[in-house]
Amino acid sequence: MKKTKPTDSPPDKKHGFTPAESEALAAAGADTADAIFVCRGDMDADCSYCDTWLWFNTASLFIARGTAQVGPSKNRKKRLEPEIKIEEIKTFHLKDVEELKCERYVSTGRLLIRGKDATLFAIGFTMSKIDQFDRLADAVNSFKKTGEAEIPPEKDDKSGRCKKCGAPCPPHRDFCKKHDKKTATAVRLFGFFGGYIPQIIVVLLVMLSDSAVSVFLPQLSTRRLFDDVLASETSSLPQEMLKALAVLVLSIFGIRLLNTVLSSFRQYIQGAIMPKVVYDIKVKIFKALQRLSVGFYTSKQTGSLMERVMRDATNIYWFFVDGVPGVILCVTTVIGVMTVMFIMNAKLSLIVLFATPLIFLLLYLGEKLFRNMHHRSWVYRSKVSSMVSDNIAGQREIKAFAKEDDEYERFTKASGNYKKAELKLALTEATVFPLAEIGVIILTAVVLGSGGVMVTRGEMTTGTLLSYIVYLEMLREPFDFLSWISNWWSRCADSAQRVFEIVDSDAEIKESENPVTLENCRGEVEISDLNFEYEPARPIIKNFNLRIEAGQMLGIVGRTGAGKSTIASLIARLYDLKKGEIKLDGVDIRELSFDSLRNNVGVVSQDIYLFMGTVADNIRYARPDASMDEVIAAAKAAHAHDFIMKLPDAYETRVGSGGQKLSGGEKQRVSIARTIIQNPRVLILDEATAAMDTETERNIQNSLTKLKAGRTTLAIAHRLSTLRDADMLAVIDEGTLIEYGTFDELIRKKGEFYKQFKLQSEALRSAGILENAPEDAGEHEEDA
Amino acid sequence: MNYESISPETLKTEYLSPENCSFFIGDAGFTGAVIKNEPHNRVILKRALPFGAPDDYICITDTENNELGIIEHVAAFSDQQQKIIGKELSLRYFIPVIQEIVSIKEKMGHFYFDVKIQGISKSFTVKDLSKNVRMHGENIDITDIDGNRYRITDFSAIAAKSRRKLEPYLY
Repeated sequence: MKKTKPTDSPPDKKHGFTPAESEALAAAGADTADAIFVCRGDMDADCSYCDTWLWFNTASLFIARGTAQVGPSKNRKKRLEPEIKIEEIKTFHLKDVEELKCERYVSTGRLLIRGKDATLFAIGFTMSKIDQFDRLADAVNSFKKTGEAEIPPEKDDKSGRCKKCGAPCPPHRDFCKKHDKKTATAVRLFGFFGGYIPQIIVVLLVMLSDSAVSVFLPQLSTRRLFDDVLASETSSLPQEMLKALAVLVLSIFGIRLLNTVLSSFRQYIQGAIMPKVVYDIKVKIFKALQRLSVGFYTSKQTGSLMERVMRDATNIYWFFVDGVPGVILCVTTVIGVMTVMFIMNAKLSLIVLFATPLIFLLLYLGEKLFRNMHHRSWVYRSKVSSMVSDNIAGQREIKAFAKEDDEYERFTKASGNYKKAELKLALTEATVFPLAEIGVIILTAVVLGSGGVMVTRGEMTTGTLLSYIVYLEMLREPFDFLSWISNWWSRCADSAQRVFEIVDSDAEIKESENPVTLENCRGEVEISDLNFEYEPARPIIKNFNLRIEAGQMLGIVGRTGAGKSTIASLIARLYDLKKGEIKLDGVDIRELSFDSLRNNVGVVSQDIYLFMGTVADNIRYARPDASMDEVIAAAKAAHAHDFIMKLPDAYETRVGSGGQKLSGGEKQRVSIARTIIQNPRVLILDEATAAMDTETERNIQNSLTKLKAGRTTLAIAHRLSTLRDADMLAVIDEGTLIEYGTFDELIRKKGEFYKQFKLQSEALRSAGILENAPEDAGEHEEDA
Repeated sequence: MNYESISPETLKTEYLSPENCSFFIGDAGFTGAVIKNEPHNRVILKRALPFGAPDDYICITDTENNELGIIEHVAAFSDQQQKIIGKELSLRYFIPVIQEIVSIKEKMGHFYFDVKIQGISKSFTVKDLSKNVRMHGENIDITDIDGNRYRITDFSAIAAKSRRKLEPYLY
């Protein structure tokens, strides 16, 4: 957290104005010299786009409205300073300001100033600016409170500005669309091949020889066959002719054989490099994924990571296996063939030279048209696929609500759209391809006609003309390939970009540079002034303070969405808090080494995940060296042993993806056993027994009570009766602590906890489950 | 299940009408309401069906997010009351309307939009069009990488030149 002392520190240049801004604001009569924090906005209070500047000093908060326009530049490389016009400046004395608050709406936000007497809308902003406004609000609020402006760090999205021109660019990108070059990605992608340079040189040489053979072959197989063998006057005798033919056929056979051997050799080397490169890419991605924090996986930008990792690596693989060699072969073939054609007949080649760009353009445009159609078809196909998987996953509900016919109708509609898109694509292909083909036929006819005339005039031989036509045909395939390779490369570059995005992403949770190791952790947890939000201006935990003594069991209760699980995640440092601190044995958890933290804090979460493997593997996940005795003991403590022994393969039953399906309660019990074997000093049970029946829950509670000796336990539960054994209870609402005390104290207090307890007891009584609950509550009422 | 048995009383839904609810704009510009004779200096209005029925089923809460009631149809209120409701809703649900699409360029998996909004040029970037472009009726909502939304109202009515630029990406 950056702290700025306004009294004796000069304004931080990083949070200051640009010279142009200072000049324009000074001209409008504003004093910007002692600004503590500057925030730039993009809307006025009526949601109209404009430029705004908000800053504060020790005495006042200023809001300036105006425009910042960049004029046209002749020198595109030089970034121009915008021309700034200030239209209005509002001043709010900080002594009259109680608090700044950001409100988040659907697509915009508003900054509110709460004064002593009233609250007012100060200004609007778009979602792009919400982080900046939130920081401003925090800075002003902390300044008001402590006299020091605590400026939260900027979100690490590479500042969202292009490194070359300063224009806005997507998060996690260094450059804007103008400067985001695919070549840079290509260079980086080729970097994966750095360790295989000798092999690549061999592959390239073989490819070149492959192309040379392809170019040379028609000279033998067509021109020499006609001119030197079939139409030669010297070979009119059958024996001479057969001899020449044999030499020619053997030469062709030899060259073909050599060609095949060279191709096989190339494929052999390529085959040895490519899997290694793809392995390197996948390992790099997987390693980066392990490093990243939980927040990365829950962010909306990441999408389906698994699909991405596999599909993107495959896209890159195929481009390098098929695409790159194809391009090299095609380019060298085109150059070789065109050169030979010019040597054979320059006049005919000029006709070809003029016509080929037209055909190439036709193919390119056709490809562009098909790209959109392919995209549409792909989207419909994806919809059909997701509908099928949705349908299969939801079969129980479909049957329960008798919706089979409706689902069938939905499917036929989606499938019908896909059919239509495919039909349109097929029909367009059937129309456009023959059109391109007609162009090629016309060109061939022109070449054949002109060549024929030349043959009759004796300007070229029949063999030369025929081989020339063969060369012309040889151009078709490379042109076709090159017309859509750009699209293929775009897909590969996109994939590579996504891969690099993961590889380059910084972990939000980083280990301290000088991490503290806790030797004998006591398990004392202290939370002070905790503030946290998943998204700017949507606070989840607000000024939360709590102390849990070592060995104490603390129950946390509260309504759904009150922030209970968030507190558990913050203690385990799955997320970093925005403000305040959490200490374990007096040490800020951000200073602790990851090993110390993970070994001493264990969480049984409400969302259980079992890995692919046996039940025993899952139980000893935290401590792979645990003996089987320990595994059984942990399973018994978690009341999992009995159900595990009922499974056909007992502790060796495969669970997780593709394995034996376990019920929610069974999974929770395995998860508890897993945490018990970890033996952490601080045990967090986040609704850990919610999916179990009351009796099993009670049994597990009894086991945990035995285990909790010398262990700090933090239990989050909805069923309040399960927290009777807790030493202390904390009641949370809307992210703040509203009640704290023992079970009896809270019942006597007749506050929120009492209300919730009474409601639950009444619900159980009305269901005939509980008979003496009201008496319980009554006893406490009498006590009170 | 007898659907008629689900009455507002059963579900404890407080439906508000001009008879038991009126709105006002306070001194600081906030929308307030008097609900069942109880004044609230600031109320929050939220649409239950923001796409399908933006003027029906408006949920009224206080600043602590406690529900005060639901307006079934805004049209049941007087013109002056509708204006106050409309102003509060347009503030919360403000979405800039795209007047013209100047260009859409795809680069490295991102779609770069250059558009005109409120008569000025605006650029934004969208990632994964299939997830961030939502069609509802003739309207199209586009969400950019920062979470800003932009709307094209009546896609069939905007200039053909603009339409052609977005059409390849719609389905």
